[in-house]
Amino acid sequence: MDKVAEFQAFIAGCLDSLHNYAMLLARPPEDHEDLLQESLLKAFNGFESFDRKLPFKAWVFGIIRNAHIDRQRRRKGATLEDPLNDNQTAGLLQSPLFSIPLAPEDILLRQETIERVREGIRRLPTLMREVVELRDIEGLSYRTISTVIDRPIGTVMSRLYRGRNLLRTYLVDPRRQDGHATRGTP
Amino acid sequence: MNCDTIKSQVFPYVDGELPAALRDEIEAHFVDCESCRRVVEQELAFRDTYVARLRPDPTPPHLRDRINHFVTGLVEQRARSRRRWYKPWLYMTSAVVLLAIGVGLGLQLAVVLERGTMLDEVVEASVDQHQKLGRGSLPPDIVGMSPQAAEDWFRKRVDFKVSLPDPKTPNVALVGARISHLANAEVAAIDYKLDRDRVSLFIMPEGAYNQLGLGEKPRFKVMKRRGFDVVIWRHQATGYTLVSEIGARACHVCHVPDETFDGQGLESLLRL
Repeated sequence: MDKVAEFQAFIAGCLDSLHNYAMLLARPPEDHEDLLQESLLKAFNGFESFDRKLPFKAWVFGIIRNAHIDRQRRRKGATLEDPLNDNQTAGLLQSPLFSIPLAPEDILLRQETIERVREGIRRLPTLMREVVELRDIEGLSYRTISTVIDRPIGTVMSRLYRGRNLLRTYLVDPRRQDGHATRGTP
Repeated sequence: MNCDTIKSQVFPYVDGELPAALRDEIEAHFVDCESCRRVVEQELAFRDTYVARLRPDPTPPHLRDRINHFVTGLVEQRARSRRRWYKPWLYMTSAVVLLAIGVGLGLQLAVVLERGTMLDEVVEASVDQHQKLGRGSLPPDIVGMSPQAAEDWFRKRVDFKVSLPDPKTPNVALVGARISHLANAEVAAIDYKLDRDRVSLFIMPEGAYNQLGLGEKPRFKVMKRRGFDVVIWRHQATGYTLVSEIGARACHVCHVPDETFDGQGLESLLRL
């Protein structure tokens, strides 16, 4: 298949995932549609360098993430350590890592809807939500996620662990705002 | 291996991310530990019931159309570029053959049609960006700055020169500016207010303007699209696109009303 036709077919096959990821990263006043379009242009221009050991969508996720970081830096005029981080996430990432995951039996008994689970993921702080979505919705391996977010696998595992526990906390107690999980904490 | 260690490995275990040796060790632990086995079973049930059915949010139809159009445009542009750079002999041969059989007119028509397609692409993108700037979905990177301060801001961020005129009349205000994208090129997007009307000016580098394939004549490419007036031109190695709903009056963001070009007034030059 011709390269450009292949690119077109790849995009058609994963547009929902790419759109979803751009929406996850972009924060007002940034426009996620504009971010997506800029990233697709970069992906098209760099398609020759696409590393086929990665899934195509993971490769474009990395481009979207870098484009987002460039925009943040350009807007703020300074280098940011991690442009996705915020005060809320920083606090949660410094909290102790719970050694026992929250057992999901309460959630199963409550017979939550898929949409409530999806909404719970949307409520997660961006750094955790990003990793939870890349794993649980996009099905990427830890190693691939590590490549996309340019962080070690240990960081991926830690964010995933905290994010999933926080999600379970939201599902068990939907009114909870601070997101600090208590159930199952030793 | 104790229960706390096992439970800390539940997620990597059910994700299939553990090395075989560690996985075997954990499974050996399950044989004698009802509690740990139950934690894993519940986690797997949670996955089957919810996680396995999660899907990315669907792309809205308008965006899907826009992206399809955008990618198709990229593909066509690449094809044109390849033809232009790698297969010039094809054009030459075609031209000779066409001339030989006396259909030069047909060739001219093809050129005009291609130019029209490029122009359409730019006009559509300009109007789209103008609307988004107007309704705030493409918010400015900078606001309330003088033209000189805005030029300084762009100088540090883009690779091409952005020159902004001082407003010639008091009813012109520079509302804001941002770096944006127009027909695959990075552009400076300037949002003006002229009385109560919005006017968007997009400034692009000459290289990007040349890629659009627009000819030199007429000097100002003027079109109407979806109720908006669009003017595209080149001046001193820079490409410009102006979008508004107020016809030639939009030019007053840069020029005084009675200014003339090549002996002609703005109104007669831009028949919108």
